[in-house]
This record gives sequence, structure tokens and C-alpha cells, in this order.
Amino acid sequence: MGIAVIGGGVAGITAALDLANSGYKVYLVEKNAELGGKMAELSECQMGLSPYIAKVSNHPNIELMLSSELESLSGSAGNFKLKASGKEIDAESVVLAPGYDVFDEIAKSYGFGSPDVVPSLDFEGILKTVTAGDSGKLVRPSDGKQVKRIGFIKCVGSRCQENEICSTACCAYTAKEVWDIKERFPDIDVYVFYMDVRVFGKDEELVADLKDKYGVHYIRSRTPEVIPEGDTLTVKFENLEKGTIDKLKLDMVVLAVGLQPSKTLGRLAEITGVNTDKYGYIETGITSPIETSVPGIFACGTATAPMKVRESVGLASGAALKAAVLSQRTEPIPGQEDRKYIEVGDAPPKIGVIICDCEGEVGQTVDIPAVAERVKGVKGVELVNSETKTMKEAMSAIEGGIVDEGLNRIVFAGCSPREYEDVVRDACANAGLNPYLLEFVNLREQCAWVHDKAEATDVAGNTLRMAIERAKYLDEIPIVRYPVTPKALVIGGGVSGMTAALGIADTGYEVYLVENEPELGGGLRDFTELQSGEKASDVLTGLVDKVKSNERITVYTNAKEEDVRGRAGSFKARIVGDGTDEEIEFGACVIATGAREFVPEGYLGYGSDNKVVTLSEFRKAGKSDAGTIAFVQDMGPNEGVVNSKSTSIEVVDSALKVKEKNPDANVFVLYQDIKTYGKWEAIYKDAREKGVIFLRYDKKKQPEFSNGILSVFDVIFNDEVQIKPDQIVLSTPMMPADANERLSKMFNIPLKNGFFMEAQERPKMVLTPVDTINEGVFICGSAVYPAMIDECIAMSTAAASRANVLLAKNFLETPAVSAVVDDLICVGCGVCVDVCPVEAIALTEETVPVVTFGVATVVGGLKKVAKVGDGCIGCGSCASYCPSSAMSLKYFKDKQLYAQLDYAF
Amino acid sequence: MIKTWELDPNFKEEIMNERGGEHLTACFQCSTCTIGCPITEYVPSYNPRKIIQMSLLGMRKEVLSNPDLWVCLICQTCTARCPQDVQISDLLGAIRRIAEKEAEAGNIKIDSSRPIFDKAFQHQLEKYGRLYDIGLAKEYYPKREGSFFKGMMAMMKDYKDFGMRMFKKGKMGPKAMFPEKVKDLAVMKKIFGEMGEK
Amino acid sequence: MSVTKLAYYPGCPSDATAIDQDMSTKAVFEKLGVELVEVEDWNCCGAAEVEDPELVYALNARNLAIAEKEGLDIVTPCSICYYNLERSNIALKADDKLRAKVKGIDSSLDYNGKINAKHVLDVFVNDIGLEELSSKISKKLNLKVAPYYGCYLGRPPETAFDDPDDPDLMDKLIELMGGEIVPFSQMKSLCCGGPLMMTRSDIAFEMARKILDTAKSAGADCIALACPLCGMMLDGKQADIEKALHVEIDMPVVYITQLLGLALGIDAKELGLDKNAVDTKELLGKVV
Ligand SMILES: Cc1cc2nc3c(=O)[nH]c(=O)nc-3n(C[C@H](O)[C@H](O)[C@H](O)COP(=O)(O)OP(=O)(O)OC[C@H]3O[C@@H](n4cnc5c(N)ncnc54)[C@H](O)[C@@H]3O)c2cc1C
Ligand code: SF4
Ligand code: SF4
Ligand code: SF4
Ligand code: SF4
Repeated sequence: MGIAVIGGGVAGITAALDLANSGYKVYLVEKNAELGGKMAELSECQMGLSPYIAKVSNHPNIELMLSSELESLSGSAGNFKLKASGKEIDAESVVLAPGYDVFDEIAKSYGFGSPDVVPSLDFEGILKTVTAGDSGKLVRPSDGKQVKRIGFIKCVGSRCQENEICSTACCAYTAKEVWDIKERFPDIDVYVFYMDVRVFGKDEELVADLKDKYGVHYIRSRTPEVIPEGDTLTVKFENLEKGTIDKLKLDMVVLAVGLQPSKTLGRLAEITGVNTDKYGYIETGITSPIETSVPGIFACGTATAPMKVRESVGLASGAALKAAVLSQRTEPIPGQEDRKYIEVGDAPPKIGVIICDCEGEVGQTVDIPAVAERVKGVKGVELVNSETKTMKEAMSAIEGGIVDEGLNRIVFAGCSPREYEDVVRDACANAGLNPYLLEFVNLREQCAWVHDKAEATDVAGNTLRMAIERAKYLDEIPIVRYPVTPKALVIGGGVSGMTAALGIADTGYEVYLVENEPELGGGLRDFTELQSGEKASDVLTGLVDKVKSNERITVYTNAKEEDVRGRAGSFKARIVGDGTDEEIEFGACVIATGAREFVPEGYLGYGSDNKVVTLSEFRKAGKSDAGTIAFVQDMGPNEGVVNSKSTSIEVVDSALKVKEKNPDANVFVLYQDIKTYGKWEAIYKDAREKGVIFLRYDKKKQPEFSNGILSVFDVIFNDEVQIKPDQIVLSTPMMPADANERLSKMFNIPLKNGFFMEAQERPKMVLTPVDTINEGVFICGSAVYPAMIDECIAMSTAAASRANVLLAKNFLETPAVSAVVDDLICVGCGVCVDVCPVEAIALTEETVPVVTFGVATVVGGLKKVAKVGDGCIGCGSCASYCPSSAMSLKYFKDKQLYAQLDYAF
Repeated sequence: MIKTWELDPNFKEEIMNERGGEHLTACFQCSTCTIGCPITEYVPSYNPRKIIQMSLLGMRKEVLSNPDLWVCLICQTCTARCPQDVQISDLLGAIRRIAEKEAEAGNIKIDSSRPIFDKAFQHQLEKYGRLYDIGLAKEYYPKREGSFFKGMMAMMKDYKDFGMRMFKKGKMGPKAMFPEKVKDLAVMKKIFGEMGEK
Repeated sequence: MSVTKLAYYPGCPSDATAIDQDMSTKAVFEKLGVELVEVEDWNCCGAAEVEDPELVYALNARNLAIAEKEGLDIVTPCSICYYNLERSNIALKADDKLRAKVKGIDSSLDYNGKINAKHVLDVFVNDIGLEELSSKISKKLNLKVAPYYGCYLGRPPETAFDDPDDPDLMDKLIELMGGEIVPFSQMKSLCCGGPLMMTRSDIAFEMARKILDTAKSAGADCIALACPLCGMMLDGKQADIEKALHVEIDMPVVYITQLLGLALGIDAKELGLDKNAVDTKELLGKVV
């Protein structure tokens, strides 16, 4: 059967790909005519997403159903019957990813209606054209005048009566939009009107930079009024410091509109029977963030709560895993079939040139027939096909050419290699041609999109000619396959590690779970109760029992991993602990080392005054008899530490619980920003309503505690407020696990502030939140960034899914494009050793024979030579640094590049 | 500097127990109400957000004797826009009623004639069931000015031109000299008796 | 046309300062073929001066109950009466306990929540409808009009029947009658200052002046409004404002019912247009 994925936004796409790539049949149902959802509308994200869309569109295991909507669903887990736009689908499980809609009931008081007041999604479109176009100016939509002063108003349609919760993404995307503007146009004055800046991790640093380095004015005021007058917009705001209502004249205003459940969600919930919560999102739980109320139906992305791309795809991968566990693998995994390659050797080049119109993108500016004319008859060119319009057509042209015409080199010219290089190489390989006998020319971004007609055609002809010259010198690169060890190593036995281990075991693989403490459980052992009211110990015992009783999981406690070797699919390591020293082999690894609380020694007297405790100490104690209690959030060093995403939630929840148990207590929360993102906004409201008093302080004026008096300068009150607390509870930043340094070196994964970094770092989004630059090694939970338990569970399920995609394969190929050293020329200087980012090169002593070059004789003997190891990722750094040109990269050999350049000059 | 232990932490409950004051603690100090309030342009110290914040902290005395309480127009702009449904317009009314009671008890002094006017207005309704403009003025002005004579002078000043103007246009004919009474006056007494301030 | 008969709640100023509004309302409904039945022995709604919500509910329960006995929806030309009637109506409909409590005061307050409370503007545009009206309009208003809505038509949200920031029902009506709307959007729903007239006339006068000034500089022939308190402030007190603030305004202020009456071809006198404080004669010349 297969799995039905409903919704083709970034979440649906991610889930579909994870499943299809691990051998499941996927039906992807999207109501629009195109894939991509909202992300395709965002200024920078579209480019990041398109390779994924390309893969989905050409995937043999995905049946794409565009412009179709789910009409009915019956049956149960393992045996669902769905109907979408008249077509029947049988599926074992279902993934719902119908996404969100933006808030659209914008009040007129925001000046909405004036063309210069734009909602953020429209502004993303404006940014897109500013980036793409050559005008390079940000102009007012009304009159085309250059923008000099721009304002951003946050929380429009969020945290209000119409949409009670926080939309989570808008604080961060506003920061990104502001950064975009300031990077490009440093002279534009930018004002941001906000209540709380709800950004986390790296975005926190970004906002700090925006304020301090870029001079962006962050103004704490939820302004309801933008008055269009003549050609300016007047924004009114409360100047808290001066106690006045001030007016600011701006040229343009962006409304950071909130996210709401997709308008289709109600009907989808009706059809599928899944419960929705009181805000209209699909209901999930804090310890089951992917499961809906219907077994076999899983949910991901913004259909479950407002969130950013990173979290959406995390849940999506997680949903893929959950769906996979209920389903049968029925499909072959692309690239795993047996392949025989034609031997080319020294045979004269028979080049096939395929020029593809890329669905009109190329042909709109490039005169394709003219370009084809230019290359016809060039020496070595056997075939020129300029008729193909889509990638599908191009692929069959390539395969046909190789099989029927005996082509031995392919030059493909069409859209971007970023999107299609893999696909085209696969087409070659499928037809039996070594995939490195392919040369790829980008006629879209490099010709069609950047030049006018005549120029584009000329440039296209030239690049194609150059490519043909290079193609003549391409060599076969041996494709080396090695078997995948179908086992995984999971490092860390907290909630995340255990969840990942169970996920991987559920898909059928063996898992080694290593924990350096004597017991499983990690940080959750310190909690009494979760925010949902669930007992932490219940959750934990449940997990530990499942792990321990799972036949496929071997648990090592009091142990650690050492001496890691190998590459994705085939790693080796030693597990060393009390009485054990075992060599293990595994194909994938998940790092889940968690985080720990910073000890705030000396802050507000912590350590010397027993009135002052940390939040985890407070939560562990489980109760408090203090008559007056002050929670202090965001205290501690600002540099080099990471605040947990859960900080405010924990603080507000704890404060609320004190008030609930003892309504007479005076409960204060001292904070810089209350970051109860998403649905957690509800507990913030609850805490206020129950009488918790919130006092806002500024980073520059931290609270002080002496002689029993806690003083805080409340920036909203603009006055100092003093409290005589019986207890002070400090919430402090989080520190990375001690093991991270060691693991970072062992696995070659960079750290940021001590936490692991994900593979893809684009300013606007993280599309692979659990992948690292070391293929086969995944990260999850608080080891990446400290977060709430639901997010940790989602991330670790995602890591299990990514591991599953890898382990499902029988074999992998060693990277073909790797460095080779010419022993004879290498002088052993070691420059390459230093520049290699993955430490793949070592200097070895080797005996070289006596060699004569004409009259000169080079005396042989013992000398140092660079040796490229297995780890090489083919980045080319060594080749470009090597002073004696001893190092080169397969596929980028000098003769190939010179041939290409020779034509140009 | 505010010393919280000298304040009245129960003030917020006191307000919330007063009709209209129920939503006080929902406020998250966003400034929406103050920014949009038309009065701030004429009374720069006027700040409903701050009145709420002081109330939350328990600054009972300062809030109740704040003369700004009495310049609110009840125009509902703040209520319409408040993202937390605090219903500030009604809330301020609740605070004003607490202030009136406190003033009657002699605990505070209110620096505004508005309570006198509102009371006088209500007395007309209680007595006649409808507004009797002249009755209202006859009660309000002397009370505001502290003596009957001064009150009459003030009234003359406000009404001389206006009254003539209305009279000429036939809007203040002899009919308006006498109260328009509801026939069922007993019910008016009952309404004020049972629902009015005790 | 769906409405044929309504209970009419005139409000306290109807036989004095807003007699012109009362006259025009009655005349217009008669012309439109809608029978108005005055609420028998109605009492004051509490205006802005009764602040205790429950007291307001009790006062209005009586008026609602009387209309309910007739089986008629209740309509009023006054914004604040509308606000009090409608919020009481909503509260009483929603809350059985409140209804019981109110009924406990006196049996005449026994209201069962069976009727609707409406403002005349709402009835004109949304119940009778522009199409129906346009078929009855016989005259064109060659007037530039500043439509002034004040506080209670667009807010608070639970009783509002127009946009809080940019109300437009009156605009629609005026345009239908051939009038031209002058740029006035920032003033439309700003408070006129009326509630402070007796206690802080300094503020009230400034606020009213701002509205009058804006209408004048926008080139309006008149301001149109839908509330007797706003009328009192902008029209009745206009001369006092001129005097106190040493300005000359001379801006005619008329009720929307008066304008509609003119468009329906009703005699100006019958609409009380001789009773507006600022002379309206010039306007009449522009009705053709
Ligand atoms: C202005 C703005 C800027 C943003 N910027 C950023 C940013 O910089 N970084 C970031 O991380 N996040 C950003 N976000 C958030 C980001 O857009 C979302 O996190 C992400 O797009 C969510 O993806 P999704 O797949 O869950 O939902 P969607 O993108 O909404 O996709 C859902 C898909 O499902 C389809 N669908 C809906 N119902 C059905 C149905 N019944 N049947 C079939 N198909 C259906 C829809 O057509 C759509 O294609 C921004 C959001 C906004 C509003
Ligand atoms: S606080 Fe929440 S709703 Fe408001 S802008 Fe930030 S993320 Fe969006
Ligand atoms: S190509 Fe890059 S990874 Fe490979 S050896 Fe050279 S520097 Fe190292
Ligand atoms: S608008 Fe509402 S939430 Fe905001 S400060 Fe005013 S009362 Fe508080
Ligand atoms: S009701 Fe009062 S506080 Fe609210 S906006 Fe109007 S004048 Fe200001």
C-alpha cells in the first residue's frame, strides 16, 4: 500500500521525501497546482526549497496529486481508504500537513488600505524583487519613491482576541527582514514596534546585533495606529522612558501578521476525524507531538501550531518515521539497483548535447534553436536535442541517446544544477553511462534570468561550447560501493536519545544506546511535573521500560564511545565503560547529549543566601511556602551561553502553579522578554489573570538583591520597584553537555556556543535541522538547542527518520569526486593537511624510487608524502592550496579545466 | 521608587469584584489603549495603561485619588482595540465607583466635579425616570461651586447664550421647564434601590 | 421590504435639544412606510452617566420588555441609547441569572430576550437596504458632506454594526442621495468631547473644534451625524465654542435622518431643519 501525505508545503514535502527515499510508496495530495506552500512565497526561501520540489516531482516512489483535495477517508491504521479528487488511495497511514493561513482581518487603524502599509507576506514578495531586480532600491509601492524610514509592527493579529496565541514565527522573520534591509541599505532607518522579542538561539544574537550594531530601533509599544497623511505614514507609540505619546513619520510600514490554522483544516479534520484544539489546530500532546487523536494519522508542520520552517520540517521527518513504522516498504530505493557501466576508456568522445527549455524558463529569453545551431557539427558532438521541455523529457532523451546512439559523454544544458544535478546523473547511470561523464550547464540562472535576449543567447552558446570542450576530457570515475551496516549508535540516554533509539528500533534496526551516567533518564529526572500535568516520572518510566524491553536496543550505562572511524553507512567505534570495552559497527549515529543548567554562583546572592534557588532546584522541591516569591528570568551572563526556548514557559508555569496552590502569595516575575511562544501564550494569560505580577527590566539595569530587598527598575513603569521576597527563583541559561567538545572533534561536527550545529545554515531557514555536515551523524534534543520536551521528542523522532533513510539502503557509494595526490610531485609541505576541513589528509613517510626528468635526476629515497584518506568530501581546498600542484580533484582535473578555458580565450 | 510591601496587594481583587472591573488582570501592558486614547492629546499625563499597572501593583491610594480618572470620555476606543479584552472603559468606571465610595467615606478627596454631575444625573432618573435638564443643572452647579448662589452664577454663565439659542430654535420651550416624568415612577425607585450603589 | 413596524425609543433629548432629530426620524419612517410605535412610558437609558453596568441593564430591561410585549424590535436614533439598549439586550439574552435578578426588582422588567435593538442607521442601510431606499429617493443632494459617526456605532465590538476605524454606512447613504463625501476619515469616529461638556468644557470644546475645523477645511457644506449628544456638542454648542476659542466656524450640522428626509422629498420644516442651531438654509438650496 503506501502512505498518504496531505499538503505539499515544506512539511509535506519533507515527510514525502523521507518516506519515498526509504522505500515507501507515497501519495502526495496538494490542493494547489504547485508544490511549496507558503515557503515558496518567502523572499529567500524559494531558492532553498526548489531542489526538494524537483526531487519530489521526479521521484519514482511519489505519486504527486496536484490540484486535488481529500474528499473522504475510511478504515483504520494499517488500512485506510482515501479519496482525493475522485481518485481512490489505499494507505496504511496518513500524514497531515495542510499548513497555515496568514491573519487577514487587519484593522483599518493600522492604516491598512494605504498601499504603503503592507502585510509581511506581501513584503517578502517586495524583498524578493528587490533582491532579484537590478534597481537595487527599496521603494514605496504608492509612488516609487525611495524608502528612507520604515517601521515594522509586530503581533498584528496575534496575541489578541481574534487570535489568542503567539504566532512564533513573526518575531524571527521580522528580524530577518530587517537584517535584509540593513545589509542592503544601511542608510534606511528601521523601527520595530514590539511587546516581547520572541526569538531564540542564533536569532537572539541577530536581534542583539540589529539593535547594537545596525542601529535598528526596537520600541516597546504595541501600536494600534498608523495614520496615512499626504505622502507619509504617522505611527503613534508610547515612549515609556519619557512618559509621552510620540509620533513618528515613516515612508512605509510592514505589518508582521500572524499565522492561523489553514482555512481548509476544519473540513480536513471532519473528514479524517482528528481532533482540533480550541485554536483550531490539529491537537497533539506535549509528549506525543506528532500523534493525532486517530491512530495511524500523524500531523506535522504549521497545522499543529504556528512555527518556523525548522520546527515544521522536524515534525515532518518525525511524522514520516511514525508513518513508516505502520507501513510496508514496497518500493525499490532509487540508486540501489544493480548497475553495469559501459566501458568508455580511450574511445573517442561521442557527445550528446541536450538543451532543455526548463518549462519555458530558458526559452523565454534564450533562443534555443540558435544555440543548438551553434553546437551542431562541432567535433565530437554526435547528437543535439533541443526539443525537450521538461526534466522528464530530458531524462528520456539522455537515456535514449546513451542506449540507442551509443553516446559516451553527455552535456546537459537547462535549469540549475542545484536542483537537478542528481537527477541528471541518475539518468546517465540508469542508462549505463558513468555519471561523471556528464557536464552540466546552467542556462537558467546564468543566462535566461540575468541577460536580455541577444546577450542571453550569446552567453548560452559560449558556455555550451566551453562545456563541450571540457566534456571531451572527462574520465570515468570508478564508482565504489560499500555495504551499509544496518545498525545505529545513539549517544545519550535522556528523553531525546531514548526516543531516537526507539524510533530506529521500530523501523527494524539494531541500536546501541550509550549513556555515561549510571542510569537512563537525563534531565527529566529532575522534574516532578510537566506543563501538561503529566508526571515526569511516569513519562520517564514508560520510556525506560520500553527501551529496556526492546530486543533491538542494547543499553550501555556508565559508558562512553571512543575511537570513532569510518563514514556514513559504515562506522566503527569502541564502547568503553565499567568492565566493557567493545568494538561496534554501525551505519548511522544520533547524538543526543542534552544540556544542563548554568550554576548562577553569585547572582543575586545565589550560593550564599539560601533564599535564592535555581528554577530546577525549585521545581525539584515541588512546593514553596513563601508568602512573597520572585522569579527572575534571563539573569546571568549574556555572552557565550544559550537560553533555553523553554525558559519563559517554565518560569510562567511555575509562577502560575504557586498562585494556584496559594492564591494569597505575592508572586512576581522579573523578565526581559516573556517568550511563551505559540499556544503557551495561554499560560501567560492565565498567570496574569491569577494575579502574578510581571515586571520588565532591561539588560543594562539588572535586578539587585541586598538586605532582603530585591530592587528592579521596571522599564514599563519607568521606576524602581522593590520587593521583600521570602524566596527568589533564578532561571538561568543552559550549558552544553561536557561531552560535546570531545564528540565534536571525534565526529567533525562544529559547535556553536558548545551546542552542535546543523548542516545547513541559511540565514532564513534550516531545512535539515537534525542533519550535520558529517553525513550519517544526526543531532537532536537539547544538544542542538535547549528546548521544550515536545520539540525534543519531535527532533529525535526526526533524527530516527533520517537514520532510517540511510539504513534502508543496502549500500552507499564512496564520494567519487575526491582528492588525489601525485606522490612524485608532492614535496610533503603539509599545507593540505592544515586546510582540509575534515582532517582527511595525513603526511606519511614513503620511499620513492630514483627518477630522472630528462637530464635532471631527482634522488629517490625516504620522503614525506600527503595521503588522502577515506573521509575526503571533495571540497577541493587542498588542490587549490597545494603549492606544487601535486593535489588535484577527480572531475576537476587541470586538463579538463584548461580545455574549457582554452575555448573561451 | 515603589515599595511593594507598603502597597495593597488586594486592590486588584477589589476592582475585579466591582462590576466592569472583572478583566483587570488580563492586561499585558501593551500600550494599545493609551496610544489610541483621544484624551492624551489634551491631558498628557493621562494614561489608562499606567492606571492599570498601578492598580495591579496595589497602589490603591494613588489610583483612587488620581484626577485623571475623571477625564475619560467613555468613548470605547480603548475597549474596542484592547487585545486582551480588558474592557478598560468599564474598568475605569469600576475604579471611579470605588473612588466615589471612598470619597463619600471621607478617605480621599476627588479633584473633579464629574462625580457630582454623575450623581446629579442619576438623581433625575431616580426622581423622574427621564433626564430633566434643569433639575440636573440646579443640583449640579451649586454642589460644584459649593454654594447655591455661586452655583446659579456659574449656571448662568454656561447657559445664558446657549439657553437663548435653544429657546429661539424652539428646542427649549416652556415644556422643557418642567420634568417629563415616567408614569411608573415606583419602578424607577425600585431599580435604583436594588441595583444602585449601596 | 422586511421591516414594516418598529418600536420607537426616542431618548431623553427628543423633545428638547434633539427635537429636530425626533421629527425627522418620524417623518422619514412614515415616508418609508414603516410604522413607529413609541415605547409606552419609556424611561431614560442611563446615558453615559450611569456607569454601573447592572444598573444600565435594569433600566433598559424595562424598555425592552415593553417593546417585547408589542412583539416589535426596538429602534432609536441616538447612539448612546442604542449602545445601552443593545448591550443590555446582549447581557440579558446571555445570562439567565441576570434576567432573573432584574425581573426580581419588578415584574415590569420581565424581559425574555425575544427582540432586537437597532440604531436607525443600521435599519436604513442593512434592513431596508440601499436598493429600496434608492427607489424612493426623489431628490439629489448637491452637498459636500462630512460624515461624523462618533463613538458607539463602530465600537465597542459587541454592539457595533460598523467598522471601528473606518465606518461607512453613512457614507453609503450620503452617496446614494447624490452627496459627495469630503476627506474626513481621521475624524469619523473620534469622540466629540460631549461626555466632558459639563465637567471639563475646556477639553470638550477643543475636541469638538477639531472635528468642526477638519470638516471646514475639507470643504464640507455640512456635517452629518446620528446622535443627539454629538449634535448638542457640534451644533448646539458651536457658537459657544467659537466664542470661547475665538474662532469662526459656521458649519451646519444635520442629522442623517434630516438629510434622508430631504432626499425623500419631505418638507424641510417637517424635518425640523429650522431648528438646527447653525443655520441650514444654504443647504436647502442645494437639494434639487
Ligand atoms: C511573512 C512570513 C515570513 C516567514 N518567514 C520565515 C522565515 O524567515 N523562516 C522560517 O523558518 N519561517 C518563516 N515563516 C514561517 C514558514 O512560512 C512556515 O513555518 C512554513 O512555511 C510552514 O510550512 P507548512 O508546510 O507547515 O505549511 P504551508 O506552507 O502552509 O503548506 C501547507 C500546504 O498544504 C496545502 N493544503 C492545505 N490544505 C490542504 C488540503 N485540505 N488538501 C491538500 N493540500 C492542502 C496548502 O496548499 C499548502 O501548499 C514565515 C511566515 C510568514 C507568514
Ligand atoms: S510575540 Fe509572537 S505573535 Fe508577536 S510578533 Fe513575536 S512571534 Fe509573532
Ligand atoms: S578535497 Fe577537501 S576534504 Fe578532500 S582531502 Fe582535499 S581538503 Fe580534504
Ligand atoms: S490595551 Fe488592554 S492589554 Fe493593552 S495596556 Fe491597555 S488594557 Fe492592557
Ligand atoms: S474610553 Fe476613556 S480611556 Fe478609553 S480611549 Fe476613550 S477616553 Fe481614553
